[in-house]
Amino acid sequence: MKSRLFTFAALAVAFLAFCGPLLAHHGNASLNTDKVLVLKGATVQRLVWANPHCILVFNMTDDKGNVVQWAGEVGSPSAMNQMGWNRHSVKMGDVITVYFFQAKTGNPVGRINKIVLADGTTLRDSALGADKPAQGAAAQ
Amino acid sequence: MRNRLNHSRITFALGSLALALAVSSVARAQTDASPAAPPARGGTGGNVLMNKLNNGPGGPAPKRDLNGFWTGPISAQDGEAPSLTPAAQKLFSANKPERKTNVKETNDNFVKTCDPMGFPYNAMYQTRGIGFSTLPDRLMIFYQAQRVWREVWTDGRPLPKNVGGTGKGAPDPRYYGYSVGHWEDDSTLVIETTGIDDKTWLDPRGYPHSVEAHVTERYTRPDHNDLQLTVTVDDPKMYTKPFLLGTNKFRWIPDQELDEQLCVPSDIMEYMNLVGNSSN
Repeated sequence: MKSRLFTFAALAVAFLAFCGPLLAHHGNASLNTDKVLVLKGATVQRLVWANPHCILVFNMTDDKGNVVQWAGEVGSPSAMNQMGWNRHSVKMGDVITVYFFQAKTGNPVGRINKIVLADGTTLRDSALGADKPAQGAAAQ
Repeated sequence: MRNRLNHSRITFALGSLALALAVSSVARAQTDASPAAPPARGGTGGNVLMNKLNNGPGGPAPKRDLNGFWTGPISAQDGEAPSLTPAAQKLFSANKPERKTNVKETNDNFVKTCDPMGFPYNAMYQTRGIGFSTLPDRLMIFYQAQRVWREVWTDGRPLPKNVGGTGKGAPDPRYYGYSVGHWEDDSTLVIETTGIDDKTWLDPRGYPHSVEAHVTERYTRPDHNDLQLTVTVDDPKMYTKPFLLGTNKFRWIPDQELDEQLCVPSDIMEYMNLVGNSSN
């Protein structure tokens, strides 16, 4: 079992290493990729399952109690399929944790690093899915 | 008008027939190459792409045969920075590739609105998967990205002249140009293309070209599972000498399946609304 887990992890790392720079339709220069935001209590609105990028739309409640819509892109459907996602991975109302590379503009948009579902399942992005130390966890 | 419509219907019917023949030919090649039952196609397979890319050399290459489906890196390796003529410099400085700007500010019409990439831009930027099927008089090339195909005539005809010219019967420029091909030796296929619509770019770096540009693809198959591509451009109106546009490598896909990979205009509009316009 351990060796199977290791094999899977090795394959996942190899996949990310090989495909990371190659699967992006759009560049990442506009993103703050040094810092991963941890967005707890994200409420899924919808998952746009489309080329060239799938997009997860979710709501967060800010410090003042306002609900803010966030949108984060991930890879293409075929790339995300390889990462274990499908169009039914999340549904409206699911409360999840989103690890997020926010746009440098400061707007609530960017690229998803990974999401963690309520049951603990982790789903990673095809291009920027490798773990990074979390910094400056955002308020809900 | 009616004649033109009928003509286009006939052309469409012939095109569909050619495509059907080509696809069935690929299916046959696929059966020949993979006698075992095809692997199950799962929605959440974890390492399908890895398997596609790590299947060894697979023995010697068949002679004069690229038939089947291949995959590889999405983008080609850039070639040299060419020496531009003043006319090309003017066009080049007006082009704003996404690499130099961003998804919001680029004027690359494929990135912005999913316009056809055209050739050789698609070969340099996004093939994702590529397929070949040989017919008696032509070679069909299929691209996974945008489900586009090209036909490469191998019956000895010359390339058309005066594409886009004012003379009677001058052919129209096309996004994917006009192509002829021949085998240089048992493992090297050479394809010549001209008549490419000059509103397309040569590659995602934003290099322009004229309709008279002459693009040469050289496919080399060193073994069963490997395919290498070199693309060179000769376009005296735009460049002071021929140059290497880029190179690409492909690997034989064991299960021979390509994905559907479409850039859909309404989807890209939604992407821009949700993410692209706010992230730049």
